[in-house]
Amino acid sequence: MSVFIELFGEFYGEILEVVFLSIFVSLTSTFIASVVGIVIAVPTALKKFKLKKYIVRLSETLMSIPPVLMGLLVYLMLSRKGPLGRLELLFTPTAMIIAQSLLVFPIIFGLTVSTIGSNGKEIEKTCISLGAGKKETIINVVKECKTQLLSVVAAGFGRAISEVGAVMMVGGNIRGTTRVMTTYIALETGKGNFQQAILIGLVLLTVAFFINFILHRFKEERE
Amino acid sequence: MNIEIVNGYKEYNGKKVLEVGKLSFKEGFVYAVLGLNGSGKTTLLQCSSGLEAFSQGEVLYDGNSDINSVRKNISIMAQKPYLFNTSALDNIKAGLKFRKYSEQSMEEKVADYLPYFQIEEILHKNAKKLSGGEQAKVALLRTAVMETDITFLDEPTASMDIESTIRAEMLIKDMASDKRTVIIVTHDMYQAERIADYVIFLDKGKIIESGEMKKVFNCPEHNLVKQILKRGVEL
Repeated sequence: MSVFIELFGEFYGEILEVVFLSIFVSLTSTFIASVVGIVIAVPTALKKFKLKKYIVRLSETLMSIPPVLMGLLVYLMLSRKGPLGRLELLFTPTAMIIAQSLLVFPIIFGLTVSTIGSNGKEIEKTCISLGAGKKETIINVVKECKTQLLSVVAAGFGRAISEVGAVMMVGGNIRGTTRVMTTYIALETGKGNFQQAILIGLVLLTVAFFINFILHRFKEERE
Repeated sequence: MNIEIVNGYKEYNGKKVLEVGKLSFKEGFVYAVLGLNGSGKTTLLQCSSGLEAFSQGEVLYDGNSDINSVRKNISIMAQKPYLFNTSALDNIKAGLKFRKYSEQSMEEKVADYLPYFQIEEILHKNAKKLSGGEQAKVALLRTAVMETDITFLDEPTASMDIESTIRAEMLIKDMASDKRTVIIVTHDMYQAERIADYVIFLDKGKIIESGEMKKVFNCPEHNLVKQILKRGVEL
């Protein structure tokens, strides 16, 4: 234990930076994916249209897309010769947020569609029968399903905070700029510094635990 | 407001569930829709109210087929009403809120209808935690306070006790006397006899008999209707 405390003091500055960047990137990407995902998923869940089942299948497939593949795609988009190369975003936290948002989006979208499901249709019919407009109906569906949607957001955040492949590829694991907890663990493990890797692993678990704890506390209050 | 269904036909996955040649609901009357389970009562109510569209045919509201233009003049209480995860009072006000009523107007409207059920003690409880009967009362009040021209009620008293059922029937009668059209789906023959001006009997998705309640109840023509009325029991 004392070894860990000593190490923690030694690397305190760097660890703090890594932890904050991890939280920032993961929270930002989860927020972006949640807003976009929920806004698109709710009408998708409520409406009947021909391509619906194919869209749902596609999102389910994308839920399990390997992060390195997503990393590769975003890398190709942002690299100098890529379509978005002139934005010079590669190896920046913005690139990491883009990659993680794209990874989390199918999870938020797919789970929201299945969560809203039949319950959402019942709420929609109730709202219509009470004279609500389209916008009011969607707002009420989200309000009524907010506890389930918080679980969806928690699942999305879990994917973001634990992901390593995509952020490694588009972030480059640059010390002080794009190094996050997962890439730090991968780096230290490669160097054989298992103690630092385990220490950061514990911090990662603690952060994930506290953020999920806050989300579930919020959910319980709503219930 | 009068409603007219013209050649209404509804099918689910290619299977016919309802076929109504012509059916009218006149302003200021209570219509009871009766029939065995699966006869198409709820489908008729949902299609008449615009919650679902007929596969063929149309519904005219005072001659107007655009449901969106008359939506706010129609209220519906579902068979299993969904109550929002908030207080009973907020649920009762929900339809008024969608109609942008002021807080004071909402309070006044609610106060007008509360005496029907005397549920003051549950008004601030979460509606999800109420009993089935209490939820039904909240849902019926929520539908009634909107004072729409047309009200559709799908088995509104199914989970109510006898006293509450009588109170609900009083409310329904009062709604109709206020020149509002009420269409109620019920399994209770006696209830239909107590409150309906007109009855519509359905069987296998078709109207087998309809007309003034007294006339149909006194001289039924269709064999199934005769049998049901002869047995004198709930369907």
